[in-house]
Amino acid sequence: MGIQEQYRSEAAAMLSSGEVKLVIGFGAGSTADRRRPVFARTAEETGKFVLDPACIANLTTYLVSGGLLSDGKKVAIFLKPDSIRSLNILISESQIRPEQVVIFGYAIENGEIMPLSGRSISDFTEIGGRIRSATPPPAVLQEAEQIEAMSPAERFEFWKAQFSKCIKCYACRQACPMCYCKRCIVDVNQPQWINTSSHTLGNFEWNIVRAFHLAGRCAACGACDRACPVNIPLRLINYRMGKEVKEAFNYYAGECSDQQPVLASFSQDDPETFIL
Amino acid sequence: MSEPFEPKIVAFVCTYCTYAGADLAGTSRLKYAPNVRIVRLPCTGRISPMFILKALQKGADAVLVSGCHPGDCHFTAGNYHARRRWTVFRALLSFTGIPEERIRFSWISAAEGTKFAELINSITEDTRKLGPFAQYQELQKIIETQSSY
Repeated sequence: MGIQEQYRSEAAAMLSSGEVKLVIGFGAGSTADRRRPVFARTAEETGKFVLDPACIANLTTYLVSGGLLSDGKKVAIFLKPDSIRSLNILISESQIRPEQVVIFGYAIENGEIMPLSGRSISDFTEIGGRIRSATPPPAVLQEAEQIEAMSPAERFEFWKAQFSKCIKCYACRQACPMCYCKRCIVDVNQPQWINTSSHTLGNFEWNIVRAFHLAGRCAACGACDRACPVNIPLRLINYRMGKEVKEAFNYYAGECSDQQPVLASFSQDDPETFIL
Repeated sequence: MSEPFEPKIVAFVCTYCTYAGADLAGTSRLKYAPNVRIVRLPCTGRISPMFILKALQKGADAVLVSGCHPGDCHFTAGNYHARRRWTVFRALLSFTGIPEERIRFSWISAAEGTKFAELINSITEDTRKLGPFAQYQELQKIIETQSSY
């Protein structure tokens, strides 16, 4: 029995026994190489689940939307390692109670689906070691290095060109599991911190602020980058922020579910070379 | 004939240390550059990165953020939290092309009136050399001149 069938039958059993109220997984998408989320509330609906290497979306986004978990009932969800990392962050920020989430873990290795053993977040502690030893994709590293090699004025021009494409659709915010604020800073209008029009200055401010709000919280799942309709390389900014918290504070977001959020904690020995 | 460039500098300071330090500079009759506009806040922990962006949006050429030395915070830990935030925010600004020389951070205690005066003078001189932050201000000008927005 393949992993897809195994997870389908396990999900069906959990739904019919009432152990979970909902199973979030993947189903067929609009084209052959796309998958869309499927929300199964009955055992019959679990037949729609598909699990293959095209299942790359980070489904944890749905756990924090619309008060899904506020009734205290359990939800099962299909997660790959970087999504589990997001879940760790959400738990450490007290957005999710770990006992409410049942995990169907899978990894995509060399175009093959591999099952991950364990059903509860406490079974996935080895993920911390993986995060610490992981290297970013060579393409991201190379692009980021190119940008860092530029002069500040060139960097500004580079990002100005990128951000001028932004149409303020907020797809990045919508796709991101960490953007769970009931009221986003960009929607605050008294005072209005950010220009809301999609002119370049407003886009610049929006993207800087979003990147800052994700600093030390990003699981590098790439959801924002894939969601962006105008292909702004958001992965580069997120990579740079992850590098900063790693180098300055030896912090790896989401390596475990009980870590202190990096910008909500401090150490007296934090570096301060830039402060006069 | 155009007037010589006078940099606009916005200083976000905490009320317990740097503001008192600036006050001391004044009462000690120390002379320093009049280019600085001081915004007083309860603590450096209250200084949101939004303030810095807003200052740039409104035409600042440089921004100074200053508070109590580590260990001296009136609220015990506000400046430690602020320090982490600045470390990250500074890296972000640098990566997006906002020069590090335009966003400065310092610790100035209530007894350091001289340090305050000297720092303001040196930032003013540095910014004068850098010139106006035209790259950023250009973005604002585009909005003001294009009615389609």
